[in-house]
Amino acid sequence: MSVASIQRKRRRETYLVFIALCAFTFVNLMPLIWAVLTSLKDPKDAFTIPPTIIFEPTLKYHWEVWFENDFVRYLKNSLIISAGTVCISIPAGSLAAYALSRIPRRNAGPILSALFTIRMFPHMLLAIPFFVMGTFLDLIDSYLLLILALVAINQPFTIWLMHGFFLEIPRDLDEAAAIDGCSSWQAFRIVILPLARPGMTVAALFSLLLSYNEFLFALVLTGTNTKTLPVAIASFGGEDITAWSLSAAGAIGIMLPIVLVMLALQRHLVRGLTAGAVKG
Amino acid sequence: MASLTIQHATKSFGGLEVLHGVDIQIADGEFVVLVGPSGCGKSTLLRLIAGLEDITQGEILIGDREVSHLHPKDRDIAMVFQSYALYPHMTVEENMGFSLRMRDVNLSERKDKVRASAEILGLTNLLGRYPRQLSGGQRQRVAMGRAIVRDPKVFLFDEPLSNLDAKLRVQMRSEIRELHKKLGTTIVYVTHDQIEAMTMADTIVVMRDGYVEQIGSPLDLYDRPANIFVGSFIGSPAMNMLEGRIGGDRQSFVSNRGTQIAFGAPVSPEADRKVILGIRPEDIGVSETGTPAMVRQVEPTGADLHVNLDLDGDGFTALFHERLPLEEGQNMGLKVLADQAHFFDPDSGKRIE
Amino acid sequence: MVRWQRGLWLFFLPSFGLLAVVLLWPLGYAIYLSFFDYYLGSDVRSFVGLGNYADLLTEGRLWNSMWTTILIAFGSVALEFIVGFALALALYRLHQSAKVFSVLLFLPHIVTPVVAALFLKWMLASNWGFIDATLLTFDIVPPDWLGDPIWAKISVILADAWVFTPLVMMVLYAALQGLDTSVVEAAQIDGANNWRVLRHIIVPALIPAIIFTISVRLMDVFRFFDIIYVLTGGGPGTATETITIYTYQLGFRMLEVGKASALGVITLIVVASLLLTINRVLNSIYRGGDQ
Ligand SMILES: Nc1ncnc2c1ncn2[C@@H]1O[C@H](COP(=O)(O)OP(=O)(O)OP(=O)(O)O)[C@@H](O)[C@H]1O
Ligand SMILES: [Mg+2]
Repeated sequence: MSVASIQRKRRRETYLVFIALCAFTFVNLMPLIWAVLTSLKDPKDAFTIPPTIIFEPTLKYHWEVWFENDFVRYLKNSLIISAGTVCISIPAGSLAAYALSRIPRRNAGPILSALFTIRMFPHMLLAIPFFVMGTFLDLIDSYLLLILALVAINQPFTIWLMHGFFLEIPRDLDEAAAIDGCSSWQAFRIVILPLARPGMTVAALFSLLLSYNEFLFALVLTGTNTKTLPVAIASFGGEDITAWSLSAAGAIGIMLPIVLVMLALQRHLVRGLTAGAVKG
Repeated sequence: MASLTIQHATKSFGGLEVLHGVDIQIADGEFVVLVGPSGCGKSTLLRLIAGLEDITQGEILIGDREVSHLHPKDRDIAMVFQSYALYPHMTVEENMGFSLRMRDVNLSERKDKVRASAEILGLTNLLGRYPRQLSGGQRQRVAMGRAIVRDPKVFLFDEPLSNLDAKLRVQMRSEIRELHKKLGTTIVYVTHDQIEAMTMADTIVVMRDGYVEQIGSPLDLYDRPANIFVGSFIGSPAMNMLEGRIGGDRQSFVSNRGTQIAFGAPVSPEADRKVILGIRPEDIGVSETGTPAMVRQVEPTGADLHVNLDLDGDGFTALFHERLPLEEGQNMGLKVLADQAHFFDPDSGKRIE
Repeated sequence: MVRWQRGLWLFFLPSFGLLAVVLLWPLGYAIYLSFFDYYLGSDVRSFVGLGNYADLLTEGRLWNSMWTTILIAFGSVALEFIVGFALALALYRLHQSAKVFSVLLFLPHIVTPVVAALFLKWMLASNWGFIDATLLTFDIVPPDWLGDPIWAKISVILADAWVFTPLVMMVLYAALQGLDTSVVEAAQIDGANNWRVLRHIIVPALIPAIIFTISVRLMDVFRFFDIIYVLTGGGPGTATETITIYTYQLGFRMLEVGKASALGVITLIVVASLLLTINRVLNSIYRGGDQ
């Protein structure tokens, strides 16, 4: 077979792959598209056979769910809890990750494996004692308790991810800093930290995402005052079929900031995934 | 400025000992070069002096002060890394002034000192740039600038020129020498390039496998290598080595393959002693009546003539400064003078005086 | 550690202190609780030793949930792997437009799981869900996707696959991009067909990534909660009740926190042994490769 004919064949194949991928992507995104459409429909368009594709869109339900159904308040809760988690998890995790990247490998190895094992803990096993202790200490429905729980599941992954970033900063710089007169803390703060800032941003965004999406702990540890968006939408859309448009609007609203964060993180996605971001 | 004393420095990594009791005495203002093959422990020794590695046994003194267990920042040394290790997020000025800043020197004094050092190194109009905006040679200079602003007691250099191209390396070699003359600070300089060592050093320390093989001035080492290793390590092309014994008259040498070399005068080892004869390629002369050899290969470099010879099956290299009309395959006679022959004990490898 | 860096140990304090308080302590407390008969509403607890464990292991419900978990695990991981690998290969083939596709295909994974589950619920809901509404248009009577014990299991597997296939795809795609393209091209020029290139060049090079994704996914299944919770709540009956859902029911619905803790510990043991097995298999594979 000549090179030219191979290339022709390859081009034809690539074209087929492209078509197939377009079709798959469309079908795969159907639930999402359907939800977007539903969120823009009046109930009369939502409950039809065949499903309506062409209708008069309305943003009424988007407005309603956020401002007449307290979703703004849930958003505030979600943001406070996510931000709180990030503010505890990232500084603590960065310090540990930096030390981990600088101590001898034979010491770092077991610590890393231990962290990896912790990642595999069933969350349920953690949720029960948190719930029991929270009940006793009267901390259920407080921001603090949920933040602490999220830090617990966040910390191992944060350390893993940051560890990778710190490894990329040459140790020569630490040594040069030590000779120039820095203590370990000064070397970290003045020389290493500014160089690790992009990595920290990535880790912070991943942590933010993880906390924002978390459901189990939020479900059992929050109450009416601290309910987060996922808990709210689950109880909202779960039961009431007549509220479809409303809950679809809420779901879409919850999703939008995530899409933005994801676009920002695109380049680091794989790295975060392998460290266990997104789903803990 | 200060002297530097290394007493019986031993270093182990885990169970593996890589430095076995190194003793070196460096005078105030001396330019000392550590050379040796890769993996012999040069960097490790330098890092012991800097305090970047813990000494396992022994002592290090800078001046009269024992520093063996001090933090690097408390030893008053400066180091130039092979990778330069410039802080990427700081300008040249900030890089150079960093050690002063960490020592709480006030801003105006800092500026003055940085400017003065930049002047010396020709960095004045690069002060506002970031390391990534500099060429390799400029980065190298900044790394040196960072070392000199603080006026430390000792400078440590770990293969600072190995990332530069050949031409720049030659230039930087003389610049560092100049700098040393100007500042007069004690320097310990690591390289595995023996030409660098020969051209720059006041004193060379030759190391192998964690031992010091010889310490001396460049010409000392060249003229009187203490053992076979130093003999073949210093000098390029490398010294020829032939195994054999001294003739009964003490004026000749017979190799194990039967090659006879006459020196025309008595040599130091006693008659009939088994020895290894070392001859530098540039010490070989031509003589019709001399030891017969066959020309295997002729390589003119322009300045010299590099000739590979065959002495009854032993390979031999000669370097002639004249353009002799030699052809491959032809026979010629060689001559070696008694005072240019080096003799080593075949068992211990030590020089025979 | 080198003397001048000894201060680094202090850097571990905040993080490890946190982990001790929010992770190890609760974990220890859970293990402690698992030895008590403890109904949270009544505030009486009595020590029962291994009683909770014995009860659980002799109960049909535990084994039922264990089988459901295993079924869902294997079903979804197999599906995710096959589809994810195919997608990764397709992306690898496309080069330029791959970026757009990878973002679009990744969306289901990044969306809040609860929201993703709702999206799927609105697809699968009887009558007015998109699928039913479409099928009914053509007078096809659809099965009850979430109400029939068998279909509910299938729906849950599909839901898990919808959310996690992108992960498998991304990791494998990244590994593919690390491949040496010249080897693949050389094989193609040599006339090797696609199938052969795949089998003899691409798959062997991807083994580590493949093992990584499969093992991580297998262990994740034991934490799989939010999607099932929203989609079926474990129903109908206990048809889709996994160990996690069962623990939730025990602990947070029936408030039998002692027994629920015991179930959590059992899950931990199962996951840990799974981890060890995978590790051992991995090691033997790598050692086998060295010889
Ligand atoms: N951190 C370490 N752990 C274990 N062994 C080490 C370590 N650092 C150096 N070594 C070993 O110590 C020996 C000396 O290493 P060193 O870096 O000092 O050699 P060198 O003379 O500088 O070589 P080169 O010219 O290649 O830089 C080597 O055998 C090396 O493997
Ligand atoms: Mg070295």
